Amino acid sequence: MSAVSIHGLSKIFKGKRGTKVVALRNLDLEIGAGEIFGFLGPNGAGKSTTIKTLMGLITPTSGRALIMGKDVSSPEARRHVGFLPENPAFYDYLSAAEYLTFVGRIFKMEAPQLERKSEEVLKLLDLWDARKRLMRGYSKGMVQRVGLAQALLHDPDVYILDEPMSGLDPIGRTLVKEIIQDLKQRGKSVFFSTHITSDVESVCDRVGVIVKGEMKCVRRVDEIADGGITGYEVRHIATGSDSPESITVSTSDLPAILSELQSAGSHILVVEPIRKNLEEFFVDIVRQE
Amino acid sequence: MKNVAIVTLKGIFRDRIFHGILVNVAFFVLIPSIATLSMRQVTELSLTLSLSLVSFILLLLSIFLGGTLLWKDIERRYTYSVLGLPLTRGRYLLGKFAGTAIFTLFVSIVLGVATYLVVSWVSIIYPPERAILWGNLTVCILFEALKYILVIAVAFLFSSVSTSFFLPVFGTISIFLAGNVTQQVYEYIHSASGSALSPLVCQVAVGLYYILPNFSAFDLKVNAIYGIPISLSGTLLTFVYFVLYAAIVLGLAVLVLSRREMR
Ligand SMILES: Nc1ncnc2c1ncn2[C@@H]1O[C@H](COP(=O)(O)OP(=O)(O)OP(=O)(O)O)[C@@H](O)[C@H]1O
Ligand SMILES: [Mg+2]
Repeated sequence: MSAVSIHGLSKIFKGKRGTKVVALRNLDLEIGAGEIFGFLGPNGAGKSTTIKTLMGLITPTSGRALIMGKDVSSPEARRHVGFLPENPAFYDYLSAAEYLTFVGRIFKMEAPQLERKSEEVLKLLDLWDARKRLMRGYSKGMVQRVGLAQALLHDPDVYILDEPMSGLDPIGRTLVKEIIQDLKQRGKSVFFSTHITSDVESVCDRVGVIVKGEMKCVRRVDEIADGGITGYEVRHIATGSDSPESITVSTSDLPAILSELQSAGSHILVVEPIRKNLEEFFVDIVRQE
Repeated sequence: MKNVAIVTLKGIFRDRIFHGILVNVAFFVLIPSIATLSMRQVTELSLTLSLSLVSFILLLLSIFLGGTLLWKDIERRYTYSVLGLPLTRGRYLLGKFAGTAIFTLFVSIVLGVATYLVVSWVSIIYPPERAILWGNLTVCILFEALKYILVIAVAFLFSSVSTSFFLPVFGTISIFLAGNVTQQVYEYIHSASGSALSPLVCQVAVGLYYILPNFSAFDLKVNAIYGIPISLSGTLLTFVYFVLYAAIVLGLAVLVLSRREMR
């Protein structure tokens, strides 16, 4: 069973005075169990709209979405999900520990298990010392950490995270990547949005690029690395010289240049492919618009 | 639902509005000295003042809590995190309402105790001509509590529609004012002098009488102050009215909130 499946999802926001914003256009997406999926797109592309629809916060204009086979219009679809909203806000008159207790009870966790898991996630996210303080006094990054803690608390199978690294310091960002990698190892599914390509490169199996409400492409991250060879770097030692030099050649010119160098008596050291990284891949897709 | 109610209660107790309104309780201390100024009917006067103060504090609480609690959750985007949990909108709204209603009952008990203390104190110093009917006083305060719980339900209905606190707060105040006079208007129309009104005005007024909550039915202050017996059938009817009216208003609020987009 797919962790998340989205079929023909469209969303039109109707504003005042008849203005319309087409936020999502006929979106299709299938995320398998155990998959880490990165949802990449520029600002205003429709990432948060997709995620809010998945969490039942907004109703799609057309199309439907399922989480673990359950339609997202039912609260049951959220039972197996850990959700982190974009720039989250939590009842600020509660402490982090109190909030986790509230969340755990809604997920019907048993008291001893809740206490154990609560301690575990608070320590993992470095909130243990602050756990009894009211969240009113938390910094932005600390609130983001509470958001991650409450998503991890009940050990769900599916994680839907809207910009999980936002607002975090470098240590926090690394921690989030480690957490996602750990979730992958434990066979969990993660769907997260971001606009930072390196985050996707380091943890994702697949990436989807959304631009202006349309899914432009969905690819395996390793395929992007293999497929995107833009040229080669040739390192050689020319005749009569004793220091190596490098030249960059395009894919089409490579055979001709190589035979030229050989006939000239050069000693070819290495021929290395130059790969397009995800960043360039992403920028290309967005620029095509 | 229970969990939302608990969290709501915690929030109210830690809220500044509540602390501010609580300061009004200090006015109870002044009541005995004000009441003695009147030399005659000191007990009646202290009862009147106490019950007015109870009513006033409960009114402030119901308008400000009822009108802002739900709206604040939406405004501060707490709804994203809470409604992202496996919780229906209905359970969420009813949980919040239950927390607020329990709090109102709690405050009513505290204010009731304050009234008892003030009135007992005054009646020791100035023994009243008529025995105080403590039972009437208790029933009176209980119905005050029910009245303001109904006000909160109305405020929740407004909050479920609105995107600002304007409509919930001022809408509730208007409904409260109107709901206190519908009974009088209704009686006026059916009196001799009311027959001079145009039929259209009468129909509108009668329509409003049935749609708007009838708050005057909850007012038993006169019975408590002057020791007039309370009719059992009347209070039962009012209680049934309370249950039905609150159920309808909350049902509507749940319906509206369930269709609302959290964006
Ligand atoms: N409540 C709303 N009313 C009207 N339009 C909206 C609303 N929410 C989002 N939109 C529009 O829908 C589009 C998609 O917005 P969305 O928040 O999904 O973008 P995003 O990909 O999450 O962007 P970001 O990277 O900035 O978070 C935007 O054009 C936005 O203006
Ligand atoms: Mg977003």
